[in-house]
Amino acid sequence: MPPKRQIWLLMQLLPVMLVLTVLFGGALLLGVAQALGFAPWFGVNTFPDTSHFAALWSDPVFWRSLGFTLYYAFVATGLAVVFGVLLALALRESFAGKTLFKYIYKLPLMIPYAVGIALAVLLLGNGGMASRMMAFVGVIDDPSQFPQILKTHAGWGIIAVYVWKQLPFVALTVYAVLLGLGRETEEAAKVLGAHRWQVFWHVTLPQILPAIVSSSLIITAFNIGAFEAPFILGGGFPDTLPVVAWRYFNDADYTLQLRGMAVVVTLAIVSGVVLFAYLGTYRRFERKRGRS
Amino acid sequence: MFLRLHRSALILVAVFVLGPFVPLMIQSFAFRWGWPDLLPSTWWLEQREKSLLPLAWDYVLSPYSRILEATLNTILIGIVVTALALVICLPAARVLARETFPGKHAFEFFLALPLIVPEAAIGISLLMVFIKLGLAGSYLGIIIVHLIPTIPYMIRMLTAVYQGLGAEFEEQAMVLGASRWQVLRLVTLPMLMPGVIAGALFTFLVSSNIFLLTFFMGQGKIITLPTLLFSKISGGTLDASAAGIALVVTIPGVLLLLLSERFIREEAFGKGFGS
Amino acid sequence: MTITLLRMTLAASLLATSALAEDAAGFRENFLSGAAPWETVTKRAADEGTVNLYYWGGSDPLNIWMDQVVTPDLAKLGVTLNPVRITGTKDAIDLVLAEKGAGKALGAGSVDAIWVNGENFATLKRQDALFGSFADKLPNSAHFEWDETDPRALLNLRDFGLATEAAEVPWSGEQYVCAVNTGRVEHAAAPTTFAELRTYLEAHPGKFSYVKPPHWLGNTFVQAALYAHNPDGSGATPFQETLESLGAAELARLIQPGFEYLKSIEPLLLGAQSGNIRYPEDGAALNGLFLNGEIDFACQFGLYAVATNLANGTFPEGAQSFIFPEGNMIKNKNYLAIPSNAPHPAAALVLADYMSSVAAQASKLQFTGMPAGIDPWTLTTDEAETLSAAAPGYIGVTQAELDANTAPDTNATLVDVIEAVWLDYIERGSADPFDVIVARAVSNLSN
Repeated sequence: MPPKRQIWLLMQLLPVMLVLTVLFGGALLLGVAQALGFAPWFGVNTFPDTSHFAALWSDPVFWRSLGFTLYYAFVATGLAVVFGVLLALALRESFAGKTLFKYIYKLPLMIPYAVGIALAVLLLGNGGMASRMMAFVGVIDDPSQFPQILKTHAGWGIIAVYVWKQLPFVALTVYAVLLGLGRETEEAAKVLGAHRWQVFWHVTLPQILPAIVSSSLIITAFNIGAFEAPFILGGGFPDTLPVVAWRYFNDADYTLQLRGMAVVVTLAIVSGVVLFAYLGTYRRFERKRGRS
Repeated sequence: MFLRLHRSALILVAVFVLGPFVPLMIQSFAFRWGWPDLLPSTWWLEQREKSLLPLAWDYVLSPYSRILEATLNTILIGIVVTALALVICLPAARVLARETFPGKHAFEFFLALPLIVPEAAIGISLLMVFIKLGLAGSYLGIIIVHLIPTIPYMIRMLTAVYQGLGAEFEEQAMVLGASRWQVLRLVTLPMLMPGVIAGALFTFLVSSNIFLLTFFMGQGKIITLPTLLFSKISGGTLDASAAGIALVVTIPGVLLLLLSERFIREEAFGKGFGS
Repeated sequence: MTITLLRMTLAASLLATSALAEDAAGFRENFLSGAAPWETVTKRAADEGTVNLYYWGGSDPLNIWMDQVVTPDLAKLGVTLNPVRITGTKDAIDLVLAEKGAGKALGAGSVDAIWVNGENFATLKRQDALFGSFADKLPNSAHFEWDETDPRALLNLRDFGLATEAAEVPWSGEQYVCAVNTGRVEHAAAPTTFAELRTYLEAHPGKFSYVKPPHWLGNTFVQAALYAHNPDGSGATPFQETLESLGAAELARLIQPGFEYLKSIEPLLLGAQSGNIRYPEDGAALNGLFLNGEIDFACQFGLYAVATNLANGTFPEGAQSFIFPEGNMIKNKNYLAIPSNAPHPAAALVLADYMSSVAAQASKLQFTGMPAGIDPWTLTTDEAETLSAAAPGYIGVTQAELDANTAPDTNATLVDVIEAVWLDYIERGSADPFDVIVARAVSNLSN
């Protein structure tokens, strides 16, 4: 490649590179620096100071918070992937009202999480519609008898909102791949006598796996860092990490704000490790499959 | 048997998605709706004349709900973010779709990274510096942070567009003596347009859905639809006006849905992660 | 288009910081020394043009009143109100302090006035981030009792035990009142003491909860419990002292019985039966639980809360106020403070004066049910009547009963400690000895 052309290529890549490096890379660096005590804008500069991390990591409650954060994220992602893939497969069939249905299922993708949370409050709360239905048919006669769904550490309310919003995302991503594939290979496998399940496992799944991995990476990262749903629908103390960080940030004690920074840095590290491990496993699996 | 199962599963999905909106609509017309009533014991219209303050939809549609302000902010921020992301991403997407160069995979992976780092980490880390720079609580500050999660999507969608386009047409035009500018204006842009519109719509959608970054950077000064709704429901209860606001917040999504079906090719979503 | 927009934003922010900013310090000196007549303030305010009022935006009636009444009234005075609705007052305090730390002085910050009391005011005062003693120099300062020898002046002079030094002007007065849902419980069966509350909950487990500290609605419930369980029987009196004069050990002794009581009712609170104790996050959440009959009593600041909430549908039809806890219903005022780096100090003063007028106080009372911050006995008969005619009225209690059971708020320096102890002892369920918990809270807050 002639050097002039190389420079021309580089110039076209430069804007996006600069913006992301400065903003995104800068944010990460700043986060780490602040968590290590570098915050001249607070009048604090004790860099490098590991005490904020030490205080955080030595607190058993922090680990419980981390546990809840990951638990909600993983369960919701798992459910969204399973049902999203099933929905994508179902969408390939032709059925009456398909055009309309393709609008309907994508609706949650288009609207903010807060709407989903509002719906969950109305539907699943102890004073909500589900509870009223049970009272109407006479199963319960006081809202406290309704099995608590929201505001518990089992987190079914949080998970329901995540799944409601993310199932369409997974379905759309997978369906897009299925559309591009056509059905010839599957038909061929069927002709050769493969069972429906075998076709899915050996023919369809490997082809949609990249789409499943990429969409589940994105929603897991989002779920780990989400704030609204755990804040409004969560079980309170111990809160998920983004909520913990927010509470530290709003504490009267200013040193706790730096501990809040340590929380978000830890969050970024954990999310990075988990997702890289996931991606690494997937790539190793692909390589192995490619060889055999 | 399988078909019936298939059908009822699809109906179940539709109910799962749409069903919850029924109580939301009822709540938006309620005055008092306590447990265990299946319908409000008093409706908004019965109390409308008696109240000094606007109730339910009167409140939502009044300037006091600030819903118009939030809508305009959401649209303004979305448009500027989309335009900026487009300008930044278009040249890079062309290169990524057409060229190979050392480190390309690593670069693509880097471009996707913002999608897998939690927003809370980015928002809180930048907040103090933005306050220092006077960017917190300004449109500029919000627009800047919105670029972080939108650029990866924009890049992915535009790269897909360029890949679908092929380089032949441009080369032919060049051979026929067109200048680089003429090629861009007369050949590339018209052919790119549908894909660019799709990418722009999707970026606008992502921007208009962002809560946490806007919440931190807006500092309560600049509200958008997601932050307005959050402040109405943050206690975990929903009155008539909050229900009305939730419905209004849904409208842009429905409009985008209708538009996107026209412009966004579903294939564009099927791109793997960093590959 | 983008570039133009950015340029416009930049140009606007440059304009705002230049002309008036330089002489702001001189203006402040003139005003606080009494040298500047009020006309110079109103004239300068019109030049400044805008006032940024930061306040907790969770109350719709208040927001509507701000837009429907305050904005047009201030416009007549040549000032545009920019109401900044925040989800927590501390956000505004943080912004003031961050900007002060960044070297932004009077005329250059973003916050002109904040609705505050208690800890937040104490923070501003401690960080020397207040404009100065302005409240007694406003034309409408005659509507407040400033005479220290009159015990009724206490709420104007002291905010959570801390001297206001006229650096904030009273805006509203409030009393902590509980409501009972008479659709579920008879008014006469409502508890009047903490012991009766526990007895009630033993018979009806799960039918009560209070707002979660550190929310001020929750802090106040905790403070009332501490007063009632004061081992010396002296109620609120020792809680008027500062942390410094009281000392951690003495504080621990005073508050331990109250906290033990709170711990003892925890298994009887909402949700405890299914293993998830629920403390509502704010007043709206509390009202939602009360409307749905999830709890039988709802306690919050609001002399007129029952009337107002019946009128807007957030309370169940049978809601009535009742006296609880006897002798310890906390009464306080809340204020408007002007920070030391207000961008529009004159406009902020005009706002503060306007808010202290009888007309503004009466319409606020009528719209929002927030009791007046001005003192009725300083007013003419006509003015006082205007005020009482605007009040929504009591349901289930009388003025005499309410007046007979008041208690003052806790000293602001103790509130942080009590909050921290609640989080440690109740929420986190710390097993450490009680005095260790208190000592830890004190030392965490002092470094």
